[in-house]
Amino acid sequence: MSSFIISFLVYMEACIFAGIFMYLFRKKKLIGFQLGMNISQVMGGMAALLTGVLLIQQFPFHFTLITIISAGTGLAVGGVFGLLFDYQTFITGLTNGMIVGLMAPMIGSVVEVPVLFLWFIHGLFFVSFLAIYFSIQRS
Amino acid sequence: MVLIILLGCWNFAALRSIYRICQKKYVLFDDRFTMTLCMNTAMITSFVFALYVSFLFPSFQVASIMLGLGIGWKFGTVLKNPAILTGLYNGAMGGIMGTMLGVVLKNPALCNIPIESDAMIAANMYSLSLFAAGLHTLVMGLIRYSFTV
Repeated sequence: MSSFIISFLVYMEACIFAGIFMYLFRKKKLIGFQLGMNISQVMGGMAALLTGVLLIQQFPFHFTLITIISAGTGLAVGGVFGLLFDYQTFITGLTNGMIVGLMAPMIGSVVEVPVLFLWFIHGLFFVSFLAIYFSIQRS
Repeated sequence: MVLIILLGCWNFAALRSIYRICQKKYVLFDDRFTMTLCMNTAMITSFVFALYVSFLFPSFQVASIMLGLGIGWKFGTVLKNPAILTGLYNGAMGGIMGTMLGVVLKNPALCNIPIESDAMIAANMYSLSLFAAGLHTLVMGLIRYSFTV
Protein backbone atom coordinates (compact mmCIF):
# COMPACT_ATOMS: atom_id res chain seq x y z
CA MET A 1 0.00 0.00 0.00
CA SER A 2 1.18 3.50 -0.69
CA SER A 3 2.20 5.62 2.24
CA PHE A 4 -0.48 8.23 1.56
CA ILE A 5 -3.28 5.73 2.16
CA ILE A 6 -1.68 4.54 5.39
CA SER A 7 -1.31 8.03 6.82
CA PHE A 8 -4.90 8.77 5.76
CA LEU A 9 -6.04 5.65 7.66
CA VAL A 10 -4.12 6.74 10.80
CA TYR A 11 -5.80 10.15 10.67
CA MET A 12 -9.23 8.56 10.11
CA GLU A 13 -8.82 6.30 13.11
CA ALA A 14 -7.83 9.20 15.34
CA CYS A 15 -11.06 10.95 14.30
CA ILE A 16 -13.14 7.80 14.91
CA PHE A 17 -11.66 7.35 18.40
CA ALA A 18 -12.37 11.00 19.24
CA GLY A 19 -15.98 10.51 18.07
CA ILE A 20 -16.45 7.36 20.18
CA PHE A 21 -15.00 9.18 23.19
CA MET A 22 -17.47 12.08 22.79
CA TYR A 23 -20.36 9.61 22.43
CA LEU A 24 -19.32 7.70 25.57
CA PHE A 25 -18.78 10.92 27.51
CA ARG A 26 -22.43 11.83 26.98
CA LYS A 27 -23.72 8.34 27.88
CA LYS A 28 -21.41 7.54 30.82
CA LYS A 29 -24.14 7.74 33.43
CA LEU A 30 -25.93 4.79 31.77
CA ILE A 31 -22.95 2.41 31.77
CA GLY A 32 -22.11 0.15 34.69
CA PHE A 33 -18.61 -0.86 35.67
CA GLN A 34 -18.78 -4.30 34.06
CA LEU A 35 -19.48 -2.87 30.61
CA GLY A 36 -17.02 -0.05 31.29
CA MET A 37 -14.20 -2.51 31.93
CA ASN A 38 -14.92 -4.29 28.65
CA ILE A 39 -15.12 -0.99 26.74
CA SER A 40 -11.77 0.25 28.04
CA GLN A 41 -10.08 -3.08 27.27
CA VAL A 42 -11.45 -3.25 23.71
CA MET A 43 -10.68 0.39 22.91
CA GLY A 44 -7.12 0.33 24.28
CA GLY A 45 -6.33 -2.94 22.52
CA MET A 46 -7.79 -1.83 19.19
CA ALA A 47 -5.95 1.52 19.25
CA ALA A 48 -2.63 -0.17 20.01
CA LEU A 49 -3.15 -2.88 17.36
CA LEU A 50 -4.09 -0.42 14.59
CA THR A 51 -1.22 1.95 15.43
CA GLY A 52 1.40 -0.78 15.60
CA VAL A 53 0.39 -2.59 12.41
CA LEU A 54 -0.10 0.57 10.31
CA LEU A 55 3.16 2.22 11.43
CA ILE A 56 5.27 -0.91 10.96
CA GLN A 57 3.92 -1.21 7.40
CA GLN A 58 4.89 2.39 6.68
CA PHE A 59 8.33 2.52 8.37
CA PRO A 60 9.76 -1.04 8.47
CA PHE A 61 13.25 0.07 9.63
CA HIS A 62 12.38 1.47 13.08
CA PHE A 63 11.16 -1.53 15.07
CA THR A 64 12.09 -0.35 18.58
CA LEU A 65 10.76 3.19 18.20
CA ILE A 66 7.45 1.94 16.77
CA THR A 67 7.10 -0.56 19.62
CA ILE A 68 7.53 2.27 22.12
CA ILE A 69 5.09 4.55 20.25
CA SER A 70 2.35 1.91 19.93
CA ALA A 71 2.71 0.85 23.59
CA GLY A 72 2.38 4.50 24.61
CA THR A 73 -0.68 4.93 22.38
CA GLY A 74 -2.40 1.87 23.81
CA LEU A 75 -1.58 3.00 27.35
CA ALA A 76 -2.94 6.50 26.78
CA VAL A 77 -6.14 5.45 24.96
CA GLY A 78 -6.96 2.65 27.42
CA GLY A 79 -6.31 4.97 30.35
CA VAL A 80 -8.43 7.79 28.95
CA PHE A 81 -11.37 5.48 28.16
CA GLY A 82 -11.03 3.90 31.60
CA LEU A 83 -10.98 7.25 33.41
CA LEU A 84 -14.57 7.81 32.24
CA PHE A 85 -15.80 5.21 34.69
CA ASP A 86 -13.63 4.17 37.62
CA TYR A 87 -10.10 3.76 38.97
CA GLN A 88 -10.02 -0.01 38.42
CA THR A 89 -11.21 0.28 34.82
CA PHE A 90 -8.36 2.79 34.38
CA ILE A 91 -5.72 0.28 35.51
CA THR A 92 -7.26 -2.57 33.48
CA GLY A 93 -7.46 -0.60 30.23
CA LEU A 94 -3.93 0.77 30.69
CA THR A 95 -2.34 -2.65 31.21
CA ASN A 96 -4.24 -4.35 28.40
CA GLY A 97 -3.49 -1.62 25.86
CA MET A 98 0.18 -1.68 26.84
CA ILE A 99 0.53 -5.46 26.37
CA VAL A 100 -1.24 -5.42 22.98
CA GLY A 101 0.89 -2.45 21.91
CA LEU A 102 4.11 -4.30 22.74
CA MET A 103 2.94 -7.25 20.58
CA ALA A 104 1.40 -5.41 17.60
CA PRO A 105 4.52 -4.46 15.51
CA MET A 106 5.65 -8.10 15.56
CA ILE A 107 2.54 -9.40 13.81
CA GLY A 108 2.63 -6.41 11.46
CA SER A 109 6.13 -7.27 10.26
CA VAL A 110 5.47 -11.02 10.00
CA VAL A 111 2.31 -10.87 7.87
CA GLU A 112 2.50 -12.01 4.23
CA VAL A 113 -0.35 -10.18 2.45
CA PRO A 114 -0.54 -6.72 4.05
CA VAL A 115 -3.61 -5.37 2.23
CA LEU A 116 -5.85 -8.27 3.24
CA PHE A 117 -4.66 -8.08 6.84
CA LEU A 118 -5.30 -4.33 7.03
CA TRP A 119 -8.86 -4.78 5.75
CA PHE A 120 -9.41 -7.61 8.24
CA ILE A 121 -8.23 -5.41 11.14
CA HIS A 122 -10.51 -2.57 10.09
CA GLY A 123 -13.44 -4.98 9.80
CA LEU A 124 -12.67 -6.26 13.31
CA PHE A 125 -12.60 -2.70 14.64
CA PHE A 126 -15.95 -1.93 13.00
CA VAL A 127 -17.57 -5.12 14.36
CA SER A 128 -16.32 -4.43 17.90
CA PHE A 129 -17.63 -0.88 17.70
CA LEU A 130 -21.04 -2.19 16.59
CA ALA A 131 -21.08 -4.66 19.51
CA ILE A 132 -20.28 -1.88 21.98
CA TYR A 133 -22.98 0.35 20.47
CA PHE A 134 -25.71 -2.29 20.73
CA SER A 135 -24.74 -3.27 24.27
CA ILE A 136 -24.93 0.40 25.34
CA GLN A 137 -28.36 0.69 23.72
CA ARG A 138 -29.57 -2.41 25.52
CA SER A 139 -28.30 -1.41 28.98
CA MET B 1 23.98 -7.99 30.81
CA VAL B 2 24.70 -6.31 34.16
CA LEU B 3 22.07 -3.68 33.33
CA ILE B 4 19.42 -6.36 32.75
CA ILE B 5 20.26 -8.08 36.05
CA LEU B 6 20.03 -4.73 37.90
CA LEU B 7 16.65 -3.97 36.28
CA GLY B 8 15.46 -7.46 37.27
CA CYS B 9 16.45 -6.84 40.91
CA TRP B 10 14.62 -3.47 40.88
CA ASN B 11 11.43 -5.02 39.49
CA PHE B 12 11.66 -7.91 41.93
CA ALA B 13 11.86 -5.48 44.85
CA ALA B 14 8.69 -3.69 43.63
CA LEU B 15 6.89 -7.03 43.19
CA ARG B 16 7.99 -8.16 46.66
CA SER B 17 6.55 -5.06 48.34
CA ILE B 18 3.19 -5.49 46.55
CA TYR B 19 3.15 -9.16 47.59
CA ARG B 20 3.74 -8.26 51.25
CA ILE B 21 0.88 -5.75 51.17
CA CYS B 22 -1.43 -8.39 49.64
CA GLN B 23 -0.45 -10.92 52.29
CA LYS B 24 -1.33 -8.49 55.06
CA LYS B 25 -4.58 -7.04 53.74
CA TYR B 26 -6.26 -9.69 51.54
CA VAL B 27 -9.29 -9.93 53.84
CA LEU B 28 -10.29 -6.36 53.05
CA PHE B 29 -10.63 -6.74 49.26
CA ASP B 30 -13.89 -7.42 47.45
CA ASP B 31 -14.19 -9.72 44.42
CA ARG B 32 -13.82 -7.10 41.74
CA PHE B 33 -10.72 -5.49 43.23
CA THR B 34 -9.15 -8.93 43.70
CA MET B 35 -9.71 -9.75 40.05
CA THR B 36 -8.29 -6.44 38.78
CA LEU B 37 -5.25 -6.64 41.04
CA CYS B 38 -4.45 -10.24 40.17
CA MET B 39 -4.94 -9.75 36.41
CA ASN B 40 -2.76 -6.68 36.02
CA THR B 41 0.02 -7.66 38.38
CA ALA B 42 0.38 -11.19 37.02
CA MET B 43 0.29 -10.05 33.38
CA ILE B 44 2.86 -7.23 33.50
CA THR B 45 5.19 -8.95 35.95
CA SER B 46 5.37 -12.23 34.07
CA PHE B 47 5.86 -10.30 30.80
CA VAL B 48 8.85 -8.37 32.17
CA PHE B 49 10.50 -11.35 33.86
CA ALA B 50 10.03 -13.59 30.81
CA LEU B 51 11.66 -10.86 28.68
CA TYR B 52 14.67 -10.72 30.99
CA VAL B 53 15.04 -14.50 31.26
CA SER B 54 14.86 -14.96 27.50
CA PHE B 55 17.54 -12.27 27.09
CA LEU B 56 19.85 -13.82 29.66
CA PHE B 57 19.38 -17.53 28.82
CA PRO B 58 18.20 -17.74 25.19
CA SER B 59 18.27 -21.54 25.02
CA PHE B 60 15.83 -22.24 27.90
CA GLN B 61 12.52 -21.06 26.47
CA VAL B 62 10.37 -23.28 28.67
CA ALA B 63 11.92 -21.76 31.81
CA SER B 64 10.52 -18.27 31.19
CA ILE B 65 6.99 -19.59 30.52
CA MET B 66 7.19 -21.66 33.70
CA LEU B 67 8.34 -18.54 35.57
CA GLY B 68 5.23 -16.68 34.33
CA LEU B 69 2.99 -19.57 35.41
CA GLY B 70 4.67 -19.60 38.83
CA ILE B 71 4.15 -15.87 39.38
CA GLY B 72 0.46 -16.16 38.45
CA TRP B 73 0.02 -19.19 40.75
CA LYS B 74 1.74 -17.40 43.64
CA PHE B 75 -0.50 -14.32 43.41
CA GLY B 76 -3.62 -16.42 42.93
CA THR B 77 -3.00 -18.48 46.05
CA VAL B 78 -2.42 -15.38 48.16
CA LEU B 79 -5.64 -13.71 47.03
CA LYS B 80 -7.82 -16.86 47.41
CA ASN B 81 -10.88 -18.02 45.54
CA PRO B 82 -11.67 -16.56 42.08
CA ALA B 83 -8.20 -15.19 41.63
CA ILE B 84 -6.39 -18.49 41.02
CA LEU B 85 -7.81 -19.03 37.53
CA THR B 86 -7.27 -15.38 36.55
CA GLY B 87 -3.72 -15.40 37.84
CA LEU B 88 -2.78 -18.63 36.09
CA TYR B 89 -4.27 -17.57 32.76
CA ASN B 90 -2.81 -14.08 32.71
CA GLY B 91 0.57 -15.23 34.00
CA ALA B 92 0.86 -17.86 31.27
CA MET B 93 -0.18 -15.35 28.60
CA GLY B 94 2.33 -12.74 29.78
CA GLY B 95 5.07 -15.36 29.93
CA ILE B 96 4.43 -16.55 26.36
CA MET B 97 4.34 -12.97 25.03
CA GLY B 98 7.56 -11.97 26.80
CA THR B 99 9.35 -15.05 25.48
CA MET B 100 8.19 -14.22 21.94
CA LEU B 101 9.45 -10.62 22.13
CA GLY B 102 12.78 -11.70 23.61
CA VAL B 103 13.38 -14.35 20.93
CA VAL B 104 12.49 -11.93 18.13
CA LEU B 105 14.85 -9.25 19.49
CA LYS B 106 17.68 -11.79 19.83
CA ASN B 107 17.22 -12.99 16.24
CA PRO B 108 15.51 -10.31 14.10
CA ALA B 109 15.56 -12.38 10.91
CA LEU B 110 12.61 -14.38 12.31
CA CYS B 111 10.33 -11.39 11.78
CA ASN B 112 11.89 -10.02 8.54
CA ILE B 113 13.16 -7.02 10.48
CA PRO B 114 16.12 -5.58 8.56
CA ILE B 115 18.67 -5.23 11.41
CA GLU B 116 22.12 -6.56 10.62
CA SER B 117 24.89 -5.56 13.03
CA ASP B 118 25.37 -6.88 16.56
CA ALA B 119 25.64 -3.38 18.04
CA MET B 120 22.13 -2.53 16.76
CA ILE B 121 20.73 -5.71 18.32
CA ALA B 122 22.35 -4.89 21.68
CA ALA B 123 21.08 -1.29 21.58
CA ASN B 124 17.53 -2.48 20.78
CA MET B 125 17.72 -5.01 23.60
CA TYR B 126 18.85 -2.50 26.20
CA SER B 127 16.39 0.24 25.19
CA LEU B 128 13.41 -2.14 25.17
CA SER B 129 14.34 -3.65 28.54
CA LEU B 130 14.67 -0.13 30.00
CA PHE B 131 11.24 0.72 28.55
CA ALA B 132 9.67 -2.44 29.98
CA ALA B 133 11.18 -1.72 33.41
CA GLY B 134 9.74 1.80 33.28
CA LEU B 135 6.29 0.43 32.40
CA HIS B 136 6.48 -2.09 35.24
CA THR B 137 7.41 0.68 37.68
CA LEU B 138 4.48 2.80 36.43
CA VAL B 139 1.91 0.00 36.84
CA MET B 140 3.28 -0.96 40.27
CA GLY B 141 3.04 2.67 41.41
CA LEU B 142 -0.57 2.89 40.21
CA ILE B 143 -1.47 -0.35 42.00
CA ARG B 144 0.21 0.82 45.21
CA TYR B 145 -1.77 4.05 44.94
CA SER B 146 -4.99 2.06 44.55
CA PHE B 147 -4.55 0.54 48.04
CA THR B 148 -4.99 3.99 49.56
CA VAL B 149 -8.11 4.97 47.58
